[in-house]
Amino acid sequence: MSDTTVLAEERIAAPRGRASSRIRSWLSGYPTLLTYLISISVALGISALLVMMTGTSPWTAVVALYEGSLSTPASVGLALDKAAPLLIVAAGTVIAARAGLFNIGQEGQLTVGATVACAVAIFVPGPGPLVLVLSLLGGALAGAAWAGIAAVLFYKTGVPIVIGTLLLVFIAVQVLFFAVTQPWLLQEAGPEGDVMPPQSELLRTEVWLPHIGEYPGLNFTSGVLIALALAVIVAVLLRHSVWGFKMTMLGMNKLAARRAGINAAVLGGTALLWSGAFAGLGGAVMLVGGNHRLQPGISENSGWDGLLVALVAKENPVFAIPVALFFGVLRAGGGFLASTGVPRYLVDVVTAVLVLAVAFPPAFRILRRTWQARAAARALAQSGKGAAA
Amino acid sequence: MRPELLGASPVHGEAAPAVELQGITKRYGTTIACDDVHLSVASGEIHGLLGQNGAGKSTLVKILLGLVSRDAGQILLHGRPTEIPDPFAAAELGLAMVHQHFSLVNELTVWENVTLGDTGRPDADATCELVRSIGERYGLVVDPLARVEDLSTGQRQRVEIIKCLRRDPGILILDEPTSVLTLSDSRELFSVLRRVAQDEQRTVILISHKLDEILNATDRVTIMRSGRVVAQRRTSEVDERELAREMVGRELSKWVAASALGNLDALVDPALSKDPAMFTAVRPVEDRPAVRMRIDSAVASRDGRPLLQGLTLELRAGEILGLAGIEGNGQHAIGDLLSSLLPLDSGEVRVDGVPVPAGRPGAMHHAGIGVIPEDRHQSGCVLDMSVAENLVLSAVPSVSRRGFVSRRRMRERAEELIERFEIATPSPDTPMRDLSGGNQQKVVLARELSQQPKILVAAYPTRGLDVGAIEYMTEQLHEASRAGIGVLLISTELEEILTLSHRIAVIHRGAVVGEMPRMDVDIERLGMLMGGQQA
Repeated sequence: MSDTTVLAEERIAAPRGRASSRIRSWLSGYPTLLTYLISISVALGISALLVMMTGTSPWTAVVALYEGSLSTPASVGLALDKAAPLLIVAAGTVIAARAGLFNIGQEGQLTVGATVACAVAIFVPGPGPLVLVLSLLGGALAGAAWAGIAAVLFYKTGVPIVIGTLLLVFIAVQVLFFAVTQPWLLQEAGPEGDVMPPQSELLRTEVWLPHIGEYPGLNFTSGVLIALALAVIVAVLLRHSVWGFKMTMLGMNKLAARRAGINAAVLGGTALLWSGAFAGLGGAVMLVGGNHRLQPGISENSGWDGLLVALVAKENPVFAIPVALFFGVLRAGGGFLASTGVPRYLVDVVTAVLVLAVAFPPAFRILRRTWQARAAARALAQSGKGAAA
Repeated sequence: MRPELLGASPVHGEAAPAVELQGITKRYGTTIACDDVHLSVASGEIHGLLGQNGAGKSTLVKILLGLVSRDAGQILLHGRPTEIPDPFAAAELGLAMVHQHFSLVNELTVWENVTLGDTGRPDADATCELVRSIGERYGLVVDPLARVEDLSTGQRQRVEIIKCLRRDPGILILDEPTSVLTLSDSRELFSVLRRVAQDEQRTVILISHKLDEILNATDRVTIMRSGRVVAQRRTSEVDERELAREMVGRELSKWVAASALGNLDALVDPALSKDPAMFTAVRPVEDRPAVRMRIDSAVASRDGRPLLQGLTLELRAGEILGLAGIEGNGQHAIGDLLSSLLPLDSGEVRVDGVPVPAGRPGAMHHAGIGVIPEDRHQSGCVLDMSVAENLVLSAVPSVSRRGFVSRRRMRERAEELIERFEIATPSPDTPMRDLSGGNQQKVVLARELSQQPKILVAAYPTRGLDVGAIEYMTEQLHEASRAGIGVLLISTELEEILTLSHRIAVIHRGAVVGEMPRMDVDIERLGMLMGGQQA
């Protein structure tokens, strides 16, 4: 009917060779389901192979993963705890992505968030609950500020968001390390003359996030509830608010958004700040909810994995909930798996393979379209008509 | 020149036609793009393929070029049934096409563009020589060492045609070739085509929706409507009235036919002023109504290039001011300025006497300036959002409460606008991407007008639209002006300017160099002003 539809169909239909066309047309009818099944099966196969190479039977590994994450109420709680920061980070990532900005520096924003949350928890006097809230807010603000540096670099000097946010990760890690190695900053105090480890002192229990449930029953920190609430709020705001509408408009068509009176630097910058704030809050939750002590490596790559959760969930905050849970299960089970003799890093490798498996089908669709368009363009160019745009 | 050719054509009639399409059918879902199409084109003939947008011309040609596979029917080249599975095959069979939108690399020189797509080491000297020799043979003079970005639109098209001709095609297809050309460039193009067809017995297929060029340039014409061939005529035996009727499927007033279908001569014909449609169109606005907008000595530049150089313009309530000029003389800049996309170095814009900060996002919009941008599908709408969402874009607050968008109110508003502006869409939730160009344009128009603007800027509002949609746009712009809106019409097509405007201003090198009321229009003077000569 419309020219654009017709054009799109042509590109997909530009056929080269007919032998496989029936299989292809059958495939194209069920692209998602089938390609997902295939790619996940392949990933599981590769994972099994990797596990076998370390001398463990894949079945033992699966059992260990299950026992570490889902076998008992307590292990389920552990998986939830692992999932919470990932979900918070992912929810923030979705905001930026909706505005068309690719923040990949969550790891750094989370690290800075945890550091500042720790400083607040230690230095701010006052009643526990108040300091706890201030500590969480401090973490969020720090994450926002860290992302804000990238935003300013982008809108003022044109440093790409991806580069800006990424490089700030490495600075953030150094900031944390500096803080926990300076006695006048966050390093824990010890007896005179002792060499102290690079870590902060243990936070007083009043500023810990409340725990829900009792061991050995189902128990988890209230960070899980914060994460769930934030994911739902983000989903609702993006879908129903004027703010979400404008954000979506900006993400889908910058030019049209500018014509409609949207200031890209303001709205996009805000999106980036929020995204950083969520990551920072994720770091704060990890600190006051689980670790209770600032250490290098406190993030456990949660920033990176939270970004992955958002990507796998296709930038949908509600879908991010089960995806974050899945990652949480892998993380909780992975810890247990390590105790069976499978190297810890293998869990990361398996996780990565599974993520690739989930990310592959949509990527494959885009690639296939690109190949076809390119073939058509080449054909056009050779027939002396110039490349199809 | 045509009689000679007609005399020759019976000879070709006996020989097998160069191209013959039999019973070509193509469906997209439930839409039939081509319905049992028969077309026969002889060697040495310029054959017009006339039809409105969406009539199936493009699909037909794409089938011929192997870009689209047909559902049924047969292709015969010189009498032999031929399969054209892909564009490679089409090229080998000597089919070449000049597309409506150029595919040139602006940063490269002409010869580099011509050699683009070849394999092996590029040979500058040989390619330059080739460009020169083709240029001499057909009168397509262009400097092979010039960079494409420094060329005029007409020259760029020459490069496109050279790219085709160097492959020595037997069949040359041109898609709406004059939509980007000036009057004299178009005439030049037709004489080139005449040479290609007549002297070398090549076949030329000219796709167009303009009656003028079909009448001036072709030997025979095939008219398509809604995917079917409705008529095939010798061009010498038809007049524009008949072509228009066949193409649109109903009788048009001479005025509409002239303006919508591109017939400049008719537009300045004094006899036409008796036409009632003409009367409402060009009637001068009475007793000098209030100045709605004033642009005063606007100076603007981008990346060091001057865009506006002291442009001054006054727009009154209820008038349509046509801003005529040759492409690239500041029209974009005016559009951008009034869309808050361009800040001013000096000068100012006032709406109802109040200065508007140029370049601040949304400022012009808030001041009451609605814009129908020229690239409507790029910056006038968001293709991945629904029709309903596109109908509110800048007016979200009007359908929301406490920061939340009311889906119900948005839908109600969309349904009302869809009905009022006759937008053809399956539902308000249909993605904008799925609408035809004409309907996308209507969505943009509906959105801008529904916000009760004081001023409406319409840039190339009928570009690429079919007759029905052009009539519709024309009527809507007139209605807007009758409602007291000041309409600024930006266009490079004189037909469009002459049809719509009450007053005409000419833009040249970023400044207004002259103006005249539509009633006293003087084409000669207009042309001189557009060319930058004092007149």
